[in-house]
Amino acid sequence: MASASSSAPVLEHGVAPLRAGQGISFVLRRLHSLTGIIPVGAFLFEHILISNSTAIGQNGPSAYARQVSFLANLPLVFFLELFGIWIPIAYHALYGFYIWYRGEGNTVSYPWTGNWMYTLQRWTGAIAFIYIVWHTYTMRFTGIDLHDHPLASFGKVQGEVIHTPLFLFYVVGLVAASWHFAYGIWLFSAKWGIVSGDKAQKRLLRACLVFFLLLCGVGLASLYSFRSRPIADDDQNRAMIQSHEKPGGQATDRKGAQ
Amino acid sequence: MADKTVILKIKRQLTPNGKSYWEEFSVPYRPNMNVISALMDIAADPVTRDGKATTPITYDSNCLEEVCGSCAMLINGKARMACSALIDQLEQPIRLEPFSKFPVVRDLATDRSVIFENLKAVKAWVPIDGTYDLGAGPRMTAEDQEAAYPLSRCISCCCCMEACPQFNEDTGFVGAATISQVRLFNTHPTGKALQRERLAALMGDGGIQECGYAQNCVEVCPKDIPLTKSISEVGGQVMKQALGDMLRR
Ligand code: SF4
Ligand code: SF4
Ligand code: FES
Repeated sequence: MASASSSAPVLEHGVAPLRAGQGISFVLRRLHSLTGIIPVGAFLFEHILISNSTAIGQNGPSAYARQVSFLANLPLVFFLELFGIWIPIAYHALYGFYIWYRGEGNTVSYPWTGNWMYTLQRWTGAIAFIYIVWHTYTMRFTGIDLHDHPLASFGKVQGEVIHTPLFLFYVVGLVAASWHFAYGIWLFSAKWGIVSGDKAQKRLLRACLVFFLLLCGVGLASLYSFRSRPIADDDQNRAMIQSHEKPGGQATDRKGAQ
Repeated sequence: MADKTVILKIKRQLTPNGKSYWEEFSVPYRPNMNVISALMDIAADPVTRDGKATTPITYDSNCLEEVCGSCAMLINGKARMACSALIDQLEQPIRLEPFSKFPVVRDLATDRSVIFENLKAVKAWVPIDGTYDLGAGPRMTAEDQEAAYPLSRCISCCCCMEACPQFNEDTGFVGAATISQVRLFNTHPTGKALQRERLAALMGDGGIQECGYAQNCVEVCPKDIPLTKSISEVGGQVMKQALGDMLRR
Protein backbone atom coordinates (compact mmCIF):
# COMPACT_ATOMS: atom_id res chain seq x y z
CA MET A 1 0.00 0.00 0.00
CA ALA A 2 1.03 3.53 -0.54
CA SER A 3 2.44 4.82 2.62
CA ALA A 4 3.70 8.21 1.70
CA SER A 5 7.32 9.09 2.14
CA SER A 6 8.02 10.92 5.39
CA SER A 7 7.80 14.33 3.72
CA ALA A 8 4.36 13.70 2.24
CA PRO A 9 1.41 14.92 4.30
CA VAL A 10 -0.16 11.73 5.63
CA LEU A 11 -3.93 12.05 6.06
CA GLU A 12 -3.70 15.80 5.98
CA HIS A 13 -6.62 15.79 3.66
CA GLY A 14 -8.67 12.82 2.79
CA VAL A 15 -11.36 11.09 4.76
CA ALA A 16 -10.87 10.98 8.52
CA PRO A 17 -10.59 7.60 10.24
CA LEU A 18 -13.39 6.22 12.42
CA ARG A 19 -13.94 8.23 15.62
CA ALA A 20 -14.57 5.29 17.96
CA GLY A 21 -16.47 6.29 21.07
CA GLN A 22 -17.10 9.84 19.86
CA GLY A 23 -20.28 11.73 19.04
CA ILE A 24 -23.97 10.90 18.96
CA SER A 25 -24.50 10.56 15.22
CA PHE A 26 -25.27 6.87 15.70
CA VAL A 27 -28.31 7.63 17.85
CA LEU A 28 -29.45 10.49 15.62
CA ARG A 29 -29.15 8.45 12.44
CA ARG A 30 -30.87 5.39 13.86
CA LEU A 31 -33.61 7.63 15.21
CA HIS A 32 -34.01 9.04 11.71
CA SER A 33 -34.35 5.53 10.39
CA LEU A 34 -36.83 4.52 13.11
CA THR A 35 -39.05 7.60 12.81
CA GLY A 36 -39.39 6.83 9.10
CA ILE A 37 -41.15 3.58 10.00
CA ILE A 38 -42.78 4.53 13.29
CA PRO A 39 -44.61 6.86 13.49
CA VAL A 40 -44.23 8.51 10.07
CA GLY A 41 -44.61 5.40 7.94
CA ALA A 42 -47.30 3.99 10.18
CA PHE A 43 -49.20 7.24 9.80
CA LEU A 44 -48.89 7.09 6.01
CA PHE A 45 -50.22 3.54 6.14
CA GLU A 46 -53.21 4.67 8.21
CA HIS A 47 -53.77 7.78 6.11
CA ILE A 48 -53.83 6.06 2.73
CA LEU A 49 -54.97 2.52 3.39
CA ILE A 50 -57.44 3.13 6.22
CA SER A 51 -58.67 6.72 6.19
CA ASN A 52 -58.53 7.69 2.53
CA SER A 53 -59.79 4.35 1.35
CA THR A 54 -63.13 5.11 3.01
CA ALA A 55 -63.66 7.76 0.33
CA ILE A 56 -63.83 5.05 -2.33
CA GLY A 57 -67.20 3.90 -3.50
CA GLN A 58 -70.85 4.81 -3.33
CA ASN A 59 -70.94 5.90 0.31
CA GLY A 60 -67.56 7.59 0.07
CA PRO A 61 -68.52 11.04 1.28
CA SER A 62 -70.29 9.96 4.44
CA ALA A 63 -67.88 7.16 5.27
CA TYR A 64 -65.02 9.58 4.83
CA ALA A 65 -66.69 12.16 7.05
CA ARG A 66 -67.21 9.50 9.71
CA GLN A 67 -63.54 8.56 9.58
CA VAL A 68 -62.40 12.19 9.83
CA SER A 69 -64.78 12.73 12.70
CA PHE A 70 -63.44 9.62 14.46
CA LEU A 71 -59.86 10.85 14.12
CA ALA A 72 -60.74 14.41 15.09
CA ASN A 73 -62.37 13.13 18.26
CA LEU A 74 -59.45 11.04 19.44
CA PRO A 75 -58.45 12.10 22.94
CA LEU A 76 -55.75 14.79 23.06
CA VAL A 77 -55.76 14.89 19.28
CA PHE A 78 -53.55 17.97 19.17
CA PHE A 79 -50.80 16.26 21.16
CA LEU A 80 -51.19 13.10 19.09
CA GLU A 81 -50.63 15.20 15.99
CA LEU A 82 -47.77 17.15 17.51
CA PHE A 83 -45.76 14.27 18.95
CA GLY A 84 -47.03 11.47 16.72
CA ILE A 85 -46.82 13.22 13.35
CA TRP A 86 -45.45 16.73 13.09
CA ILE A 87 -42.32 16.52 15.21
CA PRO A 88 -41.33 13.07 13.88
CA ILE A 89 -41.90 14.17 10.27
CA ALA A 90 -39.97 17.39 10.82
CA TYR A 91 -37.11 15.44 12.38
CA HIS A 92 -37.11 12.77 9.70
CA ALA A 93 -37.18 15.38 6.94
CA LEU A 94 -34.63 17.81 8.32
CA TYR A 95 -32.17 15.12 9.33
CA GLY A 96 -32.83 13.53 5.95
CA PHE A 97 -31.80 16.71 4.15
CA TYR A 98 -28.67 16.77 6.30
CA ILE A 99 -27.88 13.20 5.24
CA TRP A 100 -28.47 14.10 1.61
CA TYR A 101 -26.22 17.13 1.88
CA ARG A 102 -23.35 15.05 3.24
CA GLY A 103 -23.65 12.21 0.73
CA GLU A 104 -21.93 12.32 -2.63
CA GLY A 105 -24.21 10.75 -5.21
CA ASN A 106 -22.21 9.07 -7.95
CA THR A 107 -24.68 7.43 -10.30
CA VAL A 108 -22.72 8.81 -13.25
CA SER A 109 -19.69 6.64 -12.50
CA TYR A 110 -21.58 3.79 -10.90
CA PRO A 111 -24.98 3.54 -12.61
CA TRP A 112 -26.23 0.49 -10.72
CA THR A 113 -29.69 -0.21 -9.38
CA GLY A 114 -28.85 0.07 -5.69
CA ASN A 115 -27.06 3.34 -6.31
CA TRP A 116 -30.00 4.74 -8.29
CA MET A 117 -32.29 3.72 -5.46
CA TYR A 118 -30.00 5.56 -3.04
CA THR A 119 -30.41 8.72 -5.11
CA LEU A 120 -34.12 8.15 -5.69
CA GLN A 121 -34.67 7.77 -1.95
CA ARG A 122 -33.36 11.31 -1.50
CA TRP A 123 -35.46 12.82 -4.28
CA THR A 124 -38.67 11.04 -3.31
CA GLY A 125 -38.10 12.17 0.26
CA ALA A 126 -37.75 15.78 -0.82
CA ILE A 127 -40.81 15.66 -3.08
CA ALA A 128 -42.87 13.97 -0.41
CA PHE A 129 -41.77 16.56 2.13
CA ILE A 130 -42.72 19.53 -0.05
CA TYR A 131 -46.03 17.89 -0.76
CA ILE A 132 -46.69 17.10 2.90
CA VAL A 133 -45.93 20.66 4.04
CA TRP A 134 -48.33 22.07 1.47
CA HIS A 135 -50.97 19.41 2.14
CA THR A 136 -50.84 19.97 5.90
CA TYR A 137 -50.99 23.71 5.41
CA THR A 138 -54.03 23.72 3.16
CA MET A 139 -55.93 20.87 4.82
CA ARG A 140 -55.15 21.49 8.44
CA PHE A 141 -54.34 25.15 8.84
CA THR A 142 -56.28 27.02 6.19
CA GLY A 143 -59.90 27.06 5.12
CA ILE A 144 -62.60 25.32 7.07
CA ASP A 145 -61.34 23.46 10.16
CA LEU A 146 -62.12 19.79 9.58
CA HIS A 147 -61.74 18.92 13.23
CA ASP A 148 -64.75 21.09 13.95
CA HIS A 149 -66.57 20.24 10.75
CA PRO A 150 -65.73 16.68 9.68
CA LEU A 151 -68.71 16.60 7.35
CA ALA A 152 -67.07 19.19 5.17
CA SER A 153 -63.98 17.08 4.66
CA PHE A 154 -64.97 15.31 1.44
CA GLY A 155 -65.91 18.61 -0.13
CA LYS A 156 -62.72 20.29 1.03
CA VAL A 157 -60.51 17.68 -0.60
CA GLN A 158 -62.73 17.76 -3.66
CA GLY A 159 -62.26 21.51 -3.88
CA GLU A 160 -58.56 20.88 -4.38
CA VAL A 161 -58.35 17.79 -6.55
CA ILE A 162 -60.91 19.17 -8.98
CA HIS A 163 -58.14 21.44 -10.25
CA THR A 164 -56.02 19.33 -12.56
CA PRO A 165 -52.60 20.78 -11.57
CA LEU A 166 -53.38 20.24 -7.89
CA PHE A 167 -54.69 16.77 -8.66
CA LEU A 168 -51.40 15.97 -10.40
CA PHE A 169 -49.52 17.36 -7.42
CA TYR A 170 -51.51 14.96 -5.23
CA VAL A 171 -50.57 12.07 -7.51
CA VAL A 172 -46.88 13.00 -7.52
CA GLY A 173 -46.88 13.38 -3.73
CA LEU A 174 -48.65 10.05 -3.32
CA VAL A 175 -46.26 8.15 -5.56
CA ALA A 176 -43.17 9.79 -4.03
CA ALA A 177 -44.26 9.18 -0.44
CA SER A 178 -45.34 5.60 -1.20
CA TRP A 179 -42.03 4.75 -2.85
CA HIS A 180 -40.03 6.45 -0.12
CA PHE A 181 -41.86 4.45 2.52
CA ALA A 182 -41.91 1.10 0.69
CA TYR A 183 -38.20 1.22 -0.16
CA GLY A 184 -37.58 2.69 3.28
CA ILE A 185 -38.96 -0.48 4.86
CA TRP A 186 -36.45 -2.45 2.84
CA LEU A 187 -33.59 -0.14 3.82
CA PHE A 188 -34.63 -0.27 7.45
CA SER A 189 -34.65 -4.07 7.47
CA ALA A 190 -31.28 -4.20 5.73
CA LYS A 191 -29.56 -1.63 7.95
CA TRP A 192 -30.92 -2.89 11.24
CA GLY A 193 -29.89 -6.41 10.36
CA ILE A 194 -33.45 -7.74 10.35
CA VAL A 195 -33.08 -9.17 6.84
CA SER A 196 -29.46 -9.75 5.84
CA GLY A 197 -29.16 -12.57 3.32
CA ASP A 198 -29.18 -12.03 -0.42
CA LYS A 199 -32.20 -14.18 -1.14
CA ALA A 200 -34.15 -12.91 1.83
CA GLN A 201 -33.44 -9.31 0.84
CA LYS A 202 -34.64 -9.98 -2.71
CA ARG A 203 -37.82 -11.54 -1.39
CA LEU A 204 -38.43 -8.58 0.90
CA LEU A 205 -37.77 -6.18 -1.97
CA ARG A 206 -40.51 -7.87 -3.99
CA ALA A 207 -42.87 -7.59 -1.05
CA CYS A 208 -42.02 -3.89 -0.71
CA LEU A 209 -42.75 -3.38 -4.40
CA VAL A 210 -46.16 -4.97 -3.95
CA PHE A 211 -46.74 -2.75 -0.93
CA PHE A 212 -45.76 0.30 -3.00
CA LEU A 213 -48.27 -0.67 -5.70
CA LEU A 214 -50.93 -1.21 -3.05
CA LEU A 215 -50.34 2.23 -1.52
CA CYS A 216 -50.42 3.86 -4.97
CA GLY A 217 -53.45 1.87 -6.09
CA VAL A 218 -55.57 2.65 -3.06
CA GLY A 219 -54.36 6.25 -2.99
CA LEU A 220 -55.24 6.76 -6.65
CA ALA A 221 -58.60 5.08 -6.23
CA SER A 222 -59.52 7.44 -3.42
CA LEU A 223 -58.21 10.45 -5.34
CA TYR A 224 -60.29 9.36 -8.31
CA SER A 225 -63.32 9.05 -6.09
CA PHE A 226 -62.84 12.64 -4.84
CA ARG A 227 -62.42 13.91 -8.37
CA SER A 228 -65.17 11.94 -10.06
CA ARG A 229 -68.09 12.59 -7.74
CA PRO A 230 -70.29 15.49 -8.77
CA ILE A 231 -69.55 18.68 -6.92
CA ALA A 232 -72.64 20.71 -7.58
CA ASP A 233 -75.52 20.10 -5.22
CA ASP A 234 -73.42 17.60 -3.36
CA ASP A 235 -74.69 16.75 0.09
CA GLN A 236 -71.22 17.23 1.49
CA ASN A 237 -71.04 20.73 0.16
CA ARG A 238 -74.39 21.48 1.67
CA ALA A 239 -73.10 20.08 4.92
CA MET A 240 -70.07 22.29 4.60
CA ILE A 241 -72.22 25.36 4.19
CA GLN A 242 -74.49 24.32 7.05
CA SER A 243 -71.63 23.62 9.36
CA HIS A 244 -70.28 27.04 8.61
CA GLU A 245 -73.54 28.37 9.97
CA LYS A 246 -73.72 26.04 12.96
CA PRO A 247 -70.13 25.44 14.00
CA GLY A 248 -69.48 22.12 15.60
CA GLY A 249 -73.02 20.85 15.36
CA GLN A 250 -72.63 18.50 12.45
CA ALA A 251 -69.90 16.29 13.79
CA THR A 252 -71.71 15.33 16.94
CA ASP A 253 -75.01 14.83 15.12
CA ARG A 254 -73.39 12.51 12.71
CA LYS A 255 -71.68 10.54 15.40
CA GLY A 256 -74.83 10.28 17.43
CA ALA A 257 -76.59 8.80 14.43
CA GLN A 258 -74.17 5.89 14.22
CA MET B 1 -1.10 1.98 -39.16
CA ALA B 2 0.21 -1.51 -39.35
CA ASP B 3 0.32 -2.43 -35.67
CA LYS B 4 -2.46 -2.07 -33.17
CA THR B 5 -1.86 0.38 -30.37
CA VAL B 6 -3.40 1.07 -27.00
CA ILE B 7 -4.28 4.66 -26.14
CA LEU B 8 -4.20 5.70 -22.48
CA LYS B 9 -5.19 9.03 -20.95
CA ILE B 10 -3.56 9.38 -17.58
CA LYS B 11 -4.22 11.96 -14.90
CA ARG B 12 -0.91 13.00 -13.42
CA GLN B 13 0.12 14.96 -10.36
CA LEU B 14 3.74 15.45 -9.41
CA THR B 15 3.41 16.32 -5.72
CA PRO B 16 0.75 15.73 -3.07
CA ASN B 17 -0.48 19.29 -3.28
CA GLY B 18 0.44 19.92 -6.93
CA LYS B 19 -1.96 20.58 -9.76
CA SER B 20 -3.18 17.64 -11.77
CA TYR B 21 -2.98 17.45 -15.55
CA TRP B 22 -3.66 14.86 -18.25
CA GLU B 23 -1.17 13.14 -20.52
CA GLU B 24 -1.93 10.81 -23.38
CA PHE B 25 0.14 7.77 -24.27
CA SER B 26 0.09 5.20 -26.99
CA VAL B 27 1.73 1.82 -26.46
CA PRO B 28 1.99 -1.14 -28.85
CA TYR B 29 -0.73 -3.71 -28.39
CA ARG B 30 0.11 -7.22 -27.26
CA PRO B 31 -2.36 -9.98 -26.52
CA ASN B 32 -3.46 -10.35 -22.86
CA MET B 33 -2.15 -6.94 -21.79
CA ASN B 34 -3.42 -5.43 -18.60
CA VAL B 35 -3.27 -1.88 -17.29
CA ILE B 36 -0.14 -2.53 -15.21
CA SER B 37 1.73 -4.00 -18.16
CA ALA B 38 0.76 -0.95 -20.22
CA LEU B 39 2.12 1.28 -17.45
CA MET B 40 5.34 -0.76 -17.51
CA ASP B 41 5.59 -0.18 -21.25
CA ILE B 42 5.22 3.55 -20.69
CA ALA B 43 7.94 3.43 -18.01
CA ALA B 44 10.26 1.73 -20.50
CA ASP B 45 9.78 4.59 -22.94
CA PRO B 46 8.19 7.59 -21.22
CA VAL B 47 7.13 9.62 -24.22
CA THR B 48 3.65 11.08 -24.63
CA ARG B 49 1.50 10.40 -27.65
CA ASP B 50 2.53 13.68 -29.25
CA GLY B 51 6.22 12.86 -28.83
CA LYS B 52 7.13 14.84 -25.70
CA ALA B 53 9.55 13.22 -23.26
CA THR B 54 8.05 12.88 -19.79
CA THR B 55 8.54 10.97 -16.54
CA PRO B 56 7.33 7.41 -15.95
CA ILE B 57 3.95 7.10 -14.27
CA THR B 58 4.02 6.48 -10.53
CA TYR B 59 1.63 3.79 -9.32
CA ASP B 60 1.49 1.10 -6.67
CA SER B 61 1.60 -2.55 -7.55
CA ASN B 62 3.11 -5.69 -6.19
CA CYS B 63 1.54 -9.10 -6.62
CA LEU B 64 0.14 -8.63 -10.15
CA GLU B 65 -2.49 -11.25 -9.37
CA GLU B 66 -5.13 -9.33 -7.45
CA VAL B 67 -4.14 -10.41 -3.97
CA CYS B 68 -2.04 -7.57 -2.56
CA GLY B 69 -4.52 -4.74 -2.97
CA SER B 70 -2.00 -2.10 -3.93
CA CYS B 71 -2.81 -1.30 -7.57
CA ALA B 72 -6.31 0.15 -7.10
CA MET B 73 -7.12 3.17 -9.27
CA LEU B 74 -9.94 4.65 -11.31
CA ILE B 75 -10.04 2.95 -14.68
CA ASN B 76 -12.52 4.54 -17.07
CA GLY B 77 -14.07 6.19 -14.05
CA LYS B 78 -14.53 3.09 -11.93
CA ALA B 79 -12.58 1.87 -8.92
CA ARG B 80 -10.79 -1.37 -9.73
CA MET B 81 -7.49 -3.21 -9.66
CA ALA B 82 -5.14 -2.32 -12.49
CA CYS B 83 -3.43 -5.71 -12.59
CA SER B 84 -6.66 -7.55 -13.34
CA ALA B 85 -8.01 -4.90 -15.73
CA LEU B 86 -7.48 -6.51 -19.12
CA ILE B 87 -6.89 -4.11 -21.99
CA ASP B 88 -9.02 -6.25 -24.30
CA GLN B 89 -12.04 -5.60 -22.11
CA LEU B 90 -11.59 -1.84 -21.78
CA GLU B 91 -12.98 0.90 -23.94
CA GLN B 92 -10.26 3.12 -25.43
CA PRO B 93 -8.85 5.62 -24.78
CA ILE B 94 -8.40 4.09 -21.36
CA ARG B 95 -8.71 6.76 -18.69
CA LEU B 96 -6.53 6.22 -15.63
CA GLU B 97 -6.99 8.42 -12.57
CA PRO B 98 -5.90 8.16 -8.96
CA PHE B 99 -8.60 7.45 -6.39
CA SER B 100 -10.55 10.65 -5.81
CA LYS B 101 -11.16 10.30 -2.08
CA PHE B 102 -7.64 9.56 -0.93
CA PRO B 103 -4.68 11.95 -0.85
CA VAL B 104 -2.56 11.63 -3.96
CA VAL B 105 1.08 10.83 -3.31
CA ARG B 106 2.07 11.12 -6.94
CA ASP B 107 0.28 10.31 -10.20
CA LEU B 108 -1.80 7.19 -9.61
CA ALA B 109 -0.38 6.38 -6.19
CA THR B 110 -2.64 7.37 -3.31
CA ASP B 111 -2.30 7.21 0.46
CA ARG B 112 -4.91 4.74 1.62
CA SER B 113 -3.58 4.34 5.15
CA VAL B 114 -6.96 5.45 6.53
CA ILE B 115 -8.15 1.86 6.15
CA PHE B 116 -5.45 0.71 8.56
CA GLU B 117 -6.42 3.40 11.05
CA ASN B 118 -10.00 2.12 10.75
CA LEU B 119 -8.98 -1.51 11.16
CA LYS B 120 -7.03 -0.54 14.26
CA ALA B 121 -10.00 1.41 15.63
CA VAL B 122 -12.19 -1.71 15.47
CA LYS B 123 -9.41 -4.03 16.69
CA ALA B 124 -9.55 -6.19 13.60
CA TRP B 125 -7.44 -9.00 15.02
CA VAL B 126 -7.65 -12.11 17.15
CA PRO B 127 -6.25 -11.36 20.63
CA ILE B 128 -3.77 -14.13 21.42
CA ASP B 129 -0.82 -12.20 22.76
CA GLY B 130 0.08 -13.04 26.32
CA THR B 131 2.83 -14.10 28.66
CA TYR B 132 2.11 -17.83 28.42
CA ASP B 133 1.01 -20.33 25.79
CA LEU B 134 -2.76 -20.27 25.51
CA GLY B 135 -2.89 -23.67 23.86
CA ALA B 136 -5.07 -24.59 20.92
CA GLY B 137 -8.04 -22.34 20.25
CA PRO B 138 -11.65 -23.54 20.15
CA ARG B 139 -12.81 -25.21 16.97
CA MET B 140 -14.88 -23.33 14.44
CA THR B 141 -17.93 -24.99 12.97
CA ALA B 142 -17.80 -25.73 9.26
CA GLU B 143 -20.70 -23.34 8.78
CA ASP B 144 -18.82 -20.48 10.44
CA GLN B 145 -15.73 -21.30 8.41
CA GLU B 146 -17.73 -21.06 5.23
CA ALA B 147 -19.11 -17.68 6.21
CA ALA B 148 -15.74 -16.39 7.37
CA TYR B 149 -13.55 -17.48 4.50
CA PRO B 150 -14.94 -15.09 1.86
CA LEU B 151 -14.57 -12.21 4.33
CA SER B 152 -10.94 -13.11 4.95
CA ARG B 153 -10.15 -12.48 1.27
CA CYS B 154 -10.24 -8.69 1.70
CA ILE B 155 -7.09 -7.15 0.23
CA SER B 156 -7.56 -3.67 1.74
CA CYS B 157 -7.65 -2.13 -1.73
CA CYS B 158 -10.25 0.49 -0.70
CA CYS B 159 -12.29 0.13 -3.92
CA CYS B 160 -15.41 -0.29 -1.79
CA MET B 161 -14.68 3.01 -0.07
CA GLU B 162 -13.84 4.97 -3.20
CA ALA B 163 -17.11 3.90 -4.84
CA CYS B 164 -19.25 4.56 -1.77
CA PRO B 165 -21.36 7.74 -1.96
CA GLN B 166 -21.23 7.99 1.82
CA PHE B 167 -17.44 7.79 2.06
CA ASN B 168 -16.19 11.38 1.95
CA GLU B 169 -14.67 14.11 4.05
CA ASP B 170 -18.03 15.32 5.37
CA THR B 171 -19.09 11.99 6.82
CA GLY B 172 -15.71 10.48 7.67
CA PHE B 173 -17.42 7.14 7.10
CA VAL B 174 -15.44 4.06 8.03
CA GLY B 175 -16.39 2.19 4.85
CA ALA B 176 -17.59 -1.29 4.03
CA ALA B 177 -14.26 -3.15 4.29
CA THR B 178 -13.77 -2.39 7.98
CA ILE B 179 -17.38 -3.27 8.80
CA SER B 180 -16.91 -6.57 7.02
CA GLN B 181 -13.72 -7.24 8.97
CA VAL B 182 -15.65 -6.67 12.18
CA ARG B 183 -17.98 -9.42 11.06
CA LEU B 184 -15.02 -11.67 10.26
CA PHE B 185 -13.36 -11.25 13.64
CA ASN B 186 -16.64 -11.43 15.53
CA THR B 187 -17.22 -14.81 13.86
CA HIS B 188 -13.90 -16.13 15.11
CA PRO B 189 -14.27 -18.07 18.41
CA THR B 190 -11.27 -16.33 19.98
CA GLY B 191 -11.73 -13.07 18.10
CA LYS B 192 -15.19 -12.82 19.67
CA ALA B 193 -13.53 -11.68 22.90
CA LEU B 194 -13.31 -8.18 21.43
CA GLN B 195 -16.80 -8.11 19.91
CA ARG B 196 -18.19 -5.58 22.38
CA GLU B 197 -15.34 -3.15 21.75
CA ARG B 198 -15.57 -3.54 17.98
CA LEU B 199 -19.29 -2.88 17.91
CA ALA B 200 -18.92 0.06 20.28
CA ALA B 201 -16.27 1.52 17.98
CA LEU B 202 -18.62 1.21 15.00
CA MET B 203 -21.16 3.35 16.88
CA GLY B 204 -18.77 6.29 16.97
CA ASP B 205 -18.98 9.16 14.52
CA GLY B 206 -18.27 7.92 11.02
CA GLY B 207 -19.49 4.48 12.07
CA ILE B 208 -21.85 1.98 10.50
CA GLN B 209 -24.80 4.37 10.73
CA GLU B 210 -23.40 6.41 7.85
CA CYS B 211 -24.03 3.63 5.35
CA GLY B 212 -26.85 4.57 2.99
CA TYR B 213 -27.05 1.08 1.51
CA ALA B 214 -26.30 2.18 -2.04
CA GLN B 215 -24.60 -1.20 -2.55
CA ASN B 216 -21.79 0.13 -4.75
CA CYS B 217 -19.26 -1.47 -2.40
CA VAL B 218 -20.43 -4.98 -3.10
CA GLU B 219 -20.48 -4.28 -6.84
CA VAL B 220 -16.91 -3.00 -7.07
CA CYS B 221 -15.21 -5.34 -4.58
CA PRO B 222 -12.64 -7.25 -6.64
CA LYS B 223 -12.75 -10.14 -4.19
CA ASP B 224 -16.54 -10.56 -4.36
CA ILE B 225 -16.91 -10.13 -0.63
CA PRO B 226 -20.58 -10.10 0.43
CA LEU B 227 -20.22 -6.60 1.86
CA THR B 228 -23.89 -5.65 2.08
CA LYS B 229 -24.61 -8.85 3.96
CA SER B 230 -21.78 -7.96 6.33
CA ILE B 231 -23.22 -4.48 6.81
CA SER B 232 -26.62 -5.96 7.62
CA GLU B 233 -25.23 -8.61 9.96
CA VAL B 234 -23.01 -6.16 11.81
CA GLY B 235 -25.87 -3.63 11.74
CA GLY B 236 -27.93 -6.21 13.61
CA GLN B 237 -25.12 -6.92 16.09
CA VAL B 238 -24.67 -3.22 16.73
CA MET B 239 -28.39 -2.65 17.30
CA LYS B 240 -28.61 -5.64 19.64
CA GLN B 241 -25.73 -4.30 21.69
CA ALA B 242 -27.07 -0.74 21.71
CA LEU B 243 -30.57 -1.78 22.77
CA GLY B 244 -29.24 -4.34 25.25
CA ASP B 245 -27.04 -1.73 26.86
CA MET B 246 -29.97 0.64 27.08
CA LEU B 247 -31.89 -1.95 29.09
CA ARG B 248 -29.12 -3.56 31.09
CA ARG B 249 -26.59 -0.86 31.87
S1 SF4 C 1 -23.86 -0.06 0.96
FE1 SF4 C 1 -23.47 1.85 -0.11
S2 SF4 C 1 -23.35 3.39 1.49
FE2 SF4 C 1 -23.07 1.40 2.44
S3 SF4 C 1 -20.90 1.05 2.46
FE3 SF4 C 1 -21.68 0.09 0.59
S4 SF4 C 1 -21.46 1.67 -0.98
FE4 SF4 C 1 -21.29 2.70 1.00
S1 SF4 D 1 -13.82 -5.27 0.92
FE1 SF4 D 1 -13.29 -5.66 -1.23
S2 SF4 D 1 -13.21 -3.63 -2.14
FE2 SF4 D 1 -13.15 -3.33 0.04
S3 SF4 D 1 -11.02 -3.22 0.59
FE3 SF4 D 1 -11.62 -5.36 0.83
S4 SF4 D 1 -11.19 -6.32 -1.13
FE4 SF4 D 1 -11.13 -4.12 -1.47
S1 FES E 1 -0.75 -5.67 -7.97
FE1 FES E 1 -1.52 -6.74 -6.24
S2 FES E 1 -3.64 -6.48 -6.51
FE2 FES E 1 -2.89 -5.59 -8.32
